[in-house]
Amino acid sequence: MLDAYVRTLVDYAVVAVVIATAMFVTFRVLVRLGMKREAATGYALVLPWLSGFIIWTLYPILASLYYSFTSYNIFQPPKWVGLDNYVRWFTNDPSFWPSLRLTLLYGAISLPIGLSLSLGVAMLLARKVRGVGIWRTIYYLPAIIPAVATILLWRWLLGTNGLFNTLLSPLYRLINVDNPSWFNGERFALPGLIIMSLWGVFGANTVILLAGLKSIPVHLYEAVELDGGGAWAKFRNVTIPMISPTLFYTLVLGVIAAVKTFEPGIFIKLNGTTTGTFLQVLVYADAFAGGNSRMGYASALGWIMLVIVMVLTVFVLRSSNLWVYYEGERT
Amino acid sequence: MMNKPRLLIPFIVASFVIAACASPAAAPTVAPAAAPQPVATTAPAVAPAPATTAKVKIRLATWTGVDEAKELQAVIDKVNAQATTYEIVHEPQPADYYIKIQTNLAGGTAADLLWLSQENITGYADKGVLLDISPNLKSDTRPAAKLDDYFPDVLQTAQFNGKTYGLPWIAQPVVLFYNPKMFADAGVQPPTDAWTWNDFKAAAAKLTKDTNGDGKPDQWGTAFNSWPPIQMFIWQAGGEVISADKATSPIDSPEALVGAQFYKDIIYNPKYAASQDVIKEQGFSELAKNGKVAMFFGGAGDDLDYAHSKDARFAEMKMALVPKGPKNRATFAWTASTVINAATKNPQAAYDALVDLTEGIQHWKIVAPRKSLATAAVIAASVPLKKDSAAVILQALPDARSFRIVPRQSEWDTAFWEKFQDPLYQGKGTATDLAKTARPQLEIALKP
Repeated sequence: MLDAYVRTLVDYAVVAVVIATAMFVTFRVLVRLGMKREAATGYALVLPWLSGFIIWTLYPILASLYYSFTSYNIFQPPKWVGLDNYVRWFTNDPSFWPSLRLTLLYGAISLPIGLSLSLGVAMLLARKVRGVGIWRTIYYLPAIIPAVATILLWRWLLGTNGLFNTLLSPLYRLINVDNPSWFNGERFALPGLIIMSLWGVFGANTVILLAGLKSIPVHLYEAVELDGGGAWAKFRNVTIPMISPTLFYTLVLGVIAAVKTFEPGIFIKLNGTTTGTFLQVLVYADAFAGGNSRMGYASALGWIMLVIVMVLTVFVLRSSNLWVYYEGERT
Repeated sequence: MMNKPRLLIPFIVASFVIAACASPAAAPTVAPAAAPQPVATTAPAVAPAPATTAKVKIRLATWTGVDEAKELQAVIDKVNAQATTYEIVHEPQPADYYIKIQTNLAGGTAADLLWLSQENITGYADKGVLLDISPNLKSDTRPAAKLDDYFPDVLQTAQFNGKTYGLPWIAQPVVLFYNPKMFADAGVQPPTDAWTWNDFKAAAAKLTKDTNGDGKPDQWGTAFNSWPPIQMFIWQAGGEVISADKATSPIDSPEALVGAQFYKDIIYNPKYAASQDVIKEQGFSELAKNGKVAMFFGGAGDDLDYAHSKDARFAEMKMALVPKGPKNRATFAWTASTVINAATKNPQAAYDALVDLTEGIQHWKIVAPRKSLATAAVIAASVPLKKDSAAVILQALPDARSFRIVPRQSEWDTAFWEKFQDPLYQGKGTATDLAKTARPQLEIALKP
């Protein structure tokens, strides 16, 4: 135990020495090359971060791009297969299309509902009422509960004999249907996942939108009042345009997060070939699960997901001309 | 104004200080050769370890949970007590075992000995990750190293390209557990050795009942959930999923289709078996244990036949042979082996530990995959509560067979599930149509 601790400490120390030496050498070299000392110091100081970025981010990204064109099982050298992995995903993987459908529908439905509810909650929390600080804390609490615990909770709530079905059982009897198994069948899996996603409504998005609401100048609302406008006019003509940059920001992040959804698919077993599962789960399954890594195949799906995210983001960016306002001007 | 490069000085100084403080402490990580070994102090009279010889630590990775790990540790303790050159250190990894060992093997940090179930050995051997122990086995006279004592069909799961990569420690044939009380209540005769598929199906239909009058069955004849493996029924009908030469997957042969259709007729069918939802809600083997399912296909070592004697809340169950198919009574034998990581730093000690440990495990787990240990006495000595079932287990052994494993087994399994089994069970196609479309996909995975 102590040996392992000491060895780790030595490793850290060696790394620290190497980094410090590299920073010092970088500084000296840059100065010798004629760079101002202030600039050279700056470069030397960003060197640790830059090294980390290159080793832990840039290299894996480029490596995964290369692997996506190879057959690679992590034990033997990768073999170049060209576009085979990509072609196989689109033409010969029964999990891909159901999973793409599930992932996109999940994002397309849960995101607008989630954002609308976040905005509603943020507007409530923006009101000057007694104990608003406590309310804000209470509404933010679900966001700090670990995702796994939340998912396990929802798995029970939406189980065949869970709370939802127990409450809805009179309705089921009325229409003569059995308690649905939300996550087991094709019909109810997506609604179940969407209902579960709304748990996060009261989290980060609400806080961001609340900040946006708080930054709206009061005189704009007063102007609407002077013009005889009511609550709806204030909401439509002041609130929405003024927080549109914030909505835009949360929408872009939401699109990316929806395509990358992972935890629900891991902790709730979905049938990949019928219901579909989340694309990110397919990446994980092929890269690691089952003890037989298909890293090249998984990498290809990772890049397909990147393209999907980029297309959706570009779409949102383009559409922002129509509905996002900065200082009263459309973008 | 402070000279900017001086900002770097504290970092450098701090780094050197940490390094200077830490370095001397690193020296004791290598234990002195003469250091007293705790194992030696507890060594039994048999083969005491020489006091001056340091034992090599051999790490063993397994998927055992808390209780099983405890039992295994007792076996390891005995082995360690007799060992003179090594000490086995158990590293149980009950969650995500195969993901962890794969990552460890790729990263060079895997244990020396690893448990692998049958379907994983060929793939890892093909990738050069496992140590070929064939040369060591040739000159080894220890009982666990005698390959001709192993059931050939079980041993082949640990072999690849004529080389042996591990020693199997279990061969667990599938048997039929049944609930005598449920049979008696339904007026159905219990299973006999003469039972066929038709007898099984007829009994399952009679045993599936709505006991509370709500119009839905709450007691079922059986439960299928892609277990027992469909391969077993295909074999019983005379078909194969992978041919003997491992070059084809003839799942579209008439015999294979008969087996697949029988399975399809039973699985999740409310006339005979529990639904998918019921299984997910109430558990699979739990249905049998809790007296909700009258017939359950389980491994011979499962506790279904003695759970009642340990806890009266569980249903009383007995063991019978699996029903006979149109051609034979083949039953699947689940098997697992211990293998050696090719990157081990101590191959000889690891090999010695492997053989000794295998002998120990084969007297703990049932059924030992060796002919000389396939006796009622050994079964009763290994698991005393299995004494009454020993005769049935021994009767099942001659019909037991393992899967034929190929290097790309995982891909084959995925294709078999996605293109054939899953759509078949979900009613997305007939066995004939699905087999026709699945076969080419399966045969791609058979290619090297």
